[in-house]
Amino acid sequence: MWYKLFASIKKETIILLRDKIGLSILFIMPMVLVLVMTLVQDSAFKSINERGIPIVIVDNDHDTLGISIKLGLHYSKLCVVSDSIDGKPATAELAKQAVSQGKFLVGIVIPKGATEAVRKNVGQLVSSAMPSDEDSLTKTNVHVTDSINIVLFIDPVTKKSFLTSITSNLHEFISIVKTKIMFQTFSEQIAELMPENTKAPKNAFAKTQIINYKEVYASNIIGELVPNAVQHNVPAWTIFAMFFIVIPLAGSIMKEKNEGSVFRLHTMPSSYLLLINGKIIVYVCVCMLQFLLMMSVGLVFLPMLGLPVLVLGNSLLGIFIVTLATSFAATGYGVMVGTIASTEQQAAIVGSLSILLLSALGGLWVPTYIMPELMRHISVLSPLNWALEGFYELFLRGSGVIGILDESIKLFIFFIITMTIASLINRVKRNI
Amino acid sequence: MKSEPIIEIKNLTKTFKGSDEAAVKGVSFSINKNDIFGLLGPNGAGKTTIISILCSLFPPTTGKVIIDGMTLGNDISSIKQIIGVVPQDIALYPSLTARENLHFYGSMYGLKGAELKHKIEDWLLKLGLTDAANRRVSTFSGGMKRRVNLIASILHQPKILFLDEPTVGVDVQSRNVIIEHLTELNKQGTTIIYTSHHMEEAEHFCTQVAIIDNGKIITQGTPQELISKTPNSTNLEQVFLNLTNRKLRD
Repeated sequence: MWYKLFASIKKETIILLRDKIGLSILFIMPMVLVLVMTLVQDSAFKSINERGIPIVIVDNDHDTLGISIKLGLHYSKLCVVSDSIDGKPATAELAKQAVSQGKFLVGIVIPKGATEAVRKNVGQLVSSAMPSDEDSLTKTNVHVTDSINIVLFIDPVTKKSFLTSITSNLHEFISIVKTKIMFQTFSEQIAELMPENTKAPKNAFAKTQIINYKEVYASNIIGELVPNAVQHNVPAWTIFAMFFIVIPLAGSIMKEKNEGSVFRLHTMPSSYLLLINGKIIVYVCVCMLQFLLMMSVGLVFLPMLGLPVLVLGNSLLGIFIVTLATSFAATGYGVMVGTIASTEQQAAIVGSLSILLLSALGGLWVPTYIMPELMRHISVLSPLNWALEGFYELFLRGSGVIGILDESIKLFIFFIITMTIASLINRVKRNI
Repeated sequence: MKSEPIIEIKNLTKTFKGSDEAAVKGVSFSINKNDIFGLLGPNGAGKTTIISILCSLFPPTTGKVIIDGMTLGNDISSIKQIIGVVPQDIALYPSLTARENLHFYGSMYGLKGAELKHKIEDWLLKLGLTDAANRRVSTFSGGMKRRVNLIASILHQPKILFLDEPTVGVDVQSRNVIIEHLTELNKQGTTIIYTSHHMEEAEHFCTQVAIIDNGKIITQGTPQELISKTPNSTNLEQVFLNLTNRKLRD
């Protein structure tokens, strides 16, 4: 039996090695995929973080609020702020036109007298709160100045997330200016009430800045691991490519049927399982090799292009187990598709579309946490999701073997189920 | 001396799923050891169905088949060990060389090492393929493919060899070599069950012939017996046409 299995493995390996197009699909294409997708996603990431969102600002205020917003956005790394358009000082009309032409993603118009309006408003509120001789009169006569409108011109192509970032920044700057003015007004009012020798509090606003925040990633990986496009994309697209083995594997099963080899093999004293096992062993090895090559992209090639190096986490054994489980799951799925399909075309279409669907559902394209609730529930049914969770557990959270056991067991069970289905279908198809 | 049957078929029927009419209708016959048994019939007569059942590719609907004392259905793996099947279509891996194909198929019959190597080289030489043995099968002519197709089924020297139109689409030279070596194989003790549309070939090659039509055996005997007992027939082709009529078949 072992000799037959060895012969089957040898035959499968030779056929695979002689299929140049098949080899390129199995090895070169996935490497290119990982490289391109990571570069694309990284450059999208950089366009926000490094180059920044192009913004034109029309400052009709020329006072504290206008200056604060301008400087705040300028130093925020989020944006590239300009106050002129084609060499001319920006006006509301020019800004609207420039945004509609796509020269800027967002145009911000700060109206004239905005700071003054804030000051007046705050002043009235502070006065009403402070004790004075005309206390009762002031309090009853308080009226807040009409609100001022900061106008935002938005290019329709702007992503909602970009816009949210800008508006949050604007709210923050306005709030800071308001608070500053309020503190200043309060200080002045208090100073008037103090005895002459007593000093009024100075820099009161600055002293209130006691709460800061620090971002710490909840990962067991030692060192400064910052999740980036490489950490997210390399495992995701590696899994995608590993599952794409379904197409050549199902194609190889169909080819054997069409070329008559299966017919001959069925007349021989060798079981279907033994023949399929030869394929499974070869394609599992191919998957493992694919994984190694794609890791080399993350470890060697992407850093050469200026991207961060892939951090593999703490457990090489864990990586081996998840990769092996993913390889078996992908191979089992390929055998099932190849057994169900009646033609090579059918196998290719069913294989590729189902993998696209399972990868989308599994969170390979869009993180599952931003999916609607129903989709989040469905996504946990995708084997690609189990594989992705396994790799994220190792690469991002720095877990060990225990952390990936659940996902690995699920993937191995998926392999057993697909093989059982394939075997049953094969039996039904032969029982004509 | 009375020959011993190696295959006994009793009331064999086969109705394919979704079909109203049976492809094989209660067929009973036996094949003796060392016979070259020709199963002849027009297209759709049921020849390939009977051979496929005997090779255990699919089960019969009813009936009993005993092959070399073993019952089909109970002893499939033992039966597969003693049979060889040359399918009608070429069943080889085009991207493998002739030698690699033979090595793989030989291994599937349990042959290995020097024995397998020796048998491969022997048959390659006999069928004139030694020089082309390291070429991929995809580069072979139809006749060469047929010859490799045959070798792949006889490497393990089967007791029973099923041949489904083994010489279809090959030139006279290849056909002669194939028939010559099949005859030699038969002399060494292999029983041959053969289907063909070449009546002249069958007349000279077969020791026993059964003509089948519409899923039933019409007649059976040696080619000479059939020629002499069928009126207005001087050869097997005339016997065939007289018994199965001249109407075109699908």
